Amino acid sequence: MYGYSGKILHIDLATRKTWVESKPEQWYKIYIGGVSMASRLCWENIEVGCDPLSPGNPICIANGIFAGTPVPVGGKYGMASKSPLTGFIGDSMSGSWFPVALKRTGWDGFVIHGASDKWVNVFIDDDKIEFRDASHLLGLGTTETEEAISEEFGDDQVRSATIGPAGENLARIANVSNDGRKAGRTGHGAVWGSKKLKALSIRGTHGVSVADPETLLKLSYEILQAAQGPHTQKYRVLGTSSNVLNMNKLGLLPTRNYQQGTFEDAELISGEYLHEHYKAKTIACAQCPIACEQVGQVKEGPYAGAMGHVEYESLYALSSNCGVNSFPAIIQAITNCNEFGLDTMSSGVTISWAMECYQRGVFTKEDFKCEKYPDGFEAEFGNGEAVVTLTEMIANREGYMGNLLAEGTKRASAQVDEERGTETYKWAMHIKGLECPGYDARTLKTFALGLAAGTRGACHNRTAAYDPDIKGEVDRFSVDETRGRLAKSTEEYAAVYDTLPLCKFIRRCFTGKADRAGAWPAIANLINATTGWDFDYDAVDLIGERAHTIKKAFNIREGWTREDDHLPYRWQYEPMEVGPSAGYVVTDEELEYLKDIYYEAKGWTKDGLIPKEKLIALGMDDVAEEIGV
Amino acid sequence: MRIHVELLGLSRLAAGAKEIALDLEEGTTFRDIVRLLGTRYPAMIGNVIQPDGETLQSPNIFNLNVKRMIKTNQMGDSPSDGDRIILMSISAGG
Repeated sequence: MYGYSGKILHIDLATRKTWVESKPEQWYKIYIGGVSMASRLCWENIEVGCDPLSPGNPICIANGIFAGTPVPVGGKYGMASKSPLTGFIGDSMSGSWFPVALKRTGWDGFVIHGASDKWVNVFIDDDKIEFRDASHLLGLGTTETEEAISEEFGDDQVRSATIGPAGENLARIANVSNDGRKAGRTGHGAVWGSKKLKALSIRGTHGVSVADPETLLKLSYEILQAAQGPHTQKYRVLGTSSNVLNMNKLGLLPTRNYQQGTFEDAELISGEYLHEHYKAKTIACAQCPIACEQVGQVKEGPYAGAMGHVEYESLYALSSNCGVNSFPAIIQAITNCNEFGLDTMSSGVTISWAMECYQRGVFTKEDFKCEKYPDGFEAEFGNGEAVVTLTEMIANREGYMGNLLAEGTKRASAQVDEERGTETYKWAMHIKGLECPGYDARTLKTFALGLAAGTRGACHNRTAAYDPDIKGEVDRFSVDETRGRLAKSTEEYAAVYDTLPLCKFIRRCFTGKADRAGAWPAIANLINATTGWDFDYDAVDLIGERAHTIKKAFNIREGWTREDDHLPYRWQYEPMEVGPSAGYVVTDEELEYLKDIYYEAKGWTKDGLIPKEKLIALGMDDVAEEIGV
Repeated sequence: MRIHVELLGLSRLAAGAKEIALDLEEGTTFRDIVRLLGTRYPAMIGNVIQPDGETLQSPNIFNLNVKRMIKTNQMGDSPSDGDRIILMSISAGG
């Protein structure tokens, strides 16, 4: 095989044994890599029904097909385990040097089983595996950990994925970090922590063998040239944070825990403002010619020295959604999340839930006692220092509030409602337990469906259905019979990129058009030059459907039912009072209709289950045996 | 007629202004407004506006009065006196 080694490495942390599994070429043609292959490995290796923080939940890592090759933005990998937030599939993606090193080891992926009794750094040095003591790394932030490991080896070619204190303390909103990038959402950091896995370090020295190097180089160069042109200009100059003003204008910017869709100080937290006042530099992942990461730096005041990657999703969550208009506090909060190993989105949304609890008198100042503020603090919306402090408390599970919020919004609200007889679930903004993204879905009806049906919960990246809504391709304020097909189409489109994986910011750089017709033939050429296969438009299109299907199958086997495809109470029953989105909700009737037409478009039953023949047609016969109807 | 154009993202950087007012002849189309912006702010050509000077570079798009996006096949339509156009660049993620 070209592009793959055909080998998956299994590592048991409890017994410290390793073994090699060979996979046939047809398996790779179906699952390809990234989140699809990682999810498939999870399907094959998990103890069904296990507690996500138990040894039975494996960490599955699958490399990208283009990692280590010249293909621009192809330096990515996927990670999957059962999510401690949702209880369903937790699939994430990250990129840069770690997957390049992984590719050069010669392994296509790893499955990490069991749990260690001592903190460990698993070092994979090509085909040698070493279990190294990691106790001296405990408490270090993610960057500190990576640097400490690099110094230990005296080799900057050793690349590490690590967790910070949040993962060590089993915060369910913890992530995994490598090269400053994050395998975020869904709580992988807690899964690593439950196994006492502080780091996974890799040194790979093998070359990457591809079928047609000359063609791959030529195709890659053409894409690279396009990626430095107008199609990516916005990302290069302003980054994703330029979406703040767009969303604010459209009444979609989550504000004060989604109570509003417009923020009066949006200009002060915009990408344009960042660019003018706080931007230090832009940086790029390995294999990336775009360099979208806008790094913000605070040079004076109480947060001087804070330096963090300011993305739109981090911004809405930790600024407007918490009512905060101070960039220094926001950059400090982002820096904290990055270094503590916390997901910025889940952190911000969980904190904003707590702030609303404070606003409504459910919480008092005393509930926020911590070492820094022994008498507690006023956690009102707009208090940037409160947000900064709460990120510290969550990562360390400090005090009542830190321990509570480390559980994520769903569990925190359930606990408080149980303890205090309140109804805070009404402003707990999550789907399946995963905190909501930076687009208020009350007036994005296709997107609302995509989020509700999302296999990993409220994830904008997995559904991508905001695109037709926001761009006006459909009427975002209403529902019609096209939305089921549309939600299917956008989620499977996104799944192709997440499976290869390729960064979606490259999508206009193949032919100038981001749609399937513009991208799939070019992607087929890249796959064929890498592997020697004969993929065409239809084969590329199937990648997305298969990727989505294996994740859905995983969820069904873990007990998913139609009722799990829900929306937050607020989006269904509490319309905004002002702004372009005022007066709208997604009604019960709309949501149930949307689910009906979506399941139909997917070829599933009315209950959202997958017919056996559908799975067999996708080449998933063994999956059909287990969960097909 | 007088309309206002609010500039976000790259168009704001290119123009060095958050908002401009335009006094236009009746019947001026959205495409004419793109041409006018390109003439007035040449830095927009090549990133916000395509090299032809009359087509917005995807994903830049006009929003009319915070109500609806102006699609490619609607660029020949005309705004009305008092309308507010927002030139935004939509692409989610992060």
